[in-house]
Amino acid sequence: MTYKVSEEGNISTVFLNGEIDMDVVDKAKELIMPLIEAKKEVHINLKDVQYMDSSGISVLIESHQKALEVGTKVILKEISKSVLKVIMMAKLEQILNLD
Amino acid sequence: MNETNKSENKISETREFIVNSASLKEVRSFSREVFEKIKIDQDLKDELVLAIAEAAQNIVKHAYKDIETNDDKMEIKISLGKNDELEIGFFDKGKPVDGAKVRHRNIDDVKPGGLGTFFIQQIMDAVVFREGEKPWINHLILTKQL
Repeated sequence: MTYKVSEEGNISTVFLNGEIDMDVVDKAKELIMPLIEAKKEVHINLKDVQYMDSSGISVLIESHQKALEVGTKVILKEISKSVLKVIMMAKLEQILNLD
Repeated sequence: MNETNKSENKISETREFIVNSASLKEVRSFSREVFEKIKIDQDLKDELVLAIAEAAQNIVKHAYKDIETNDDKMEIKISLGKNDELEIGFFDKGKPVDGAKVRHRNIDDVKPGGLGTFFIQQIMDAVVFREGEKPWINHLILTKQL
């Protein structure tokens, strides 16, 4: 997994790239959680994520819940077909903020 | 160890992987290689790869929980029978798994974790835990009629 972060005002956009599995979720959390804790609105761009497993989905849930807790939000952007399928399999399309 | 046996099944391929999270990428690559040889649509291939990777992840996370350092290997065998029944066997030497206690979380109770087993059950027709034959401790069998 590789990533890029861009900042615009209070919005941080995290562009993830590659495959998100148990082996890289700690790296993803270390990247996303501090932005949420800083009360940034976090946009996670998933256009270039070709694979995500239950560990990756857990990071999305944890990020979403942490954002609610601190009064901000996480929005998932340009979700790839394969990731959307896994989100829907987990019945999270009504829970997470999808754009 | 890689093994290919086409005598009784349309496809039967076996590979060993070191039990750690870094191997999950190799597990997916192996699965994709095997499924390239089967005429099924890409969406189903992706689902099967996910189910296999989740089962392998469960071995790393649960069967080897609290086992800090090891160079143990797990074995994955993907077979497609003449009747087009896909069987995926997982063999490991971790802590014995009681299949009756393996449950996914309530899907409506949204929280991190507990989804891997749910995905496996959604994708596969059957999930069976058996005691492994020596040298294995656990033998998990996932099946699906293609």
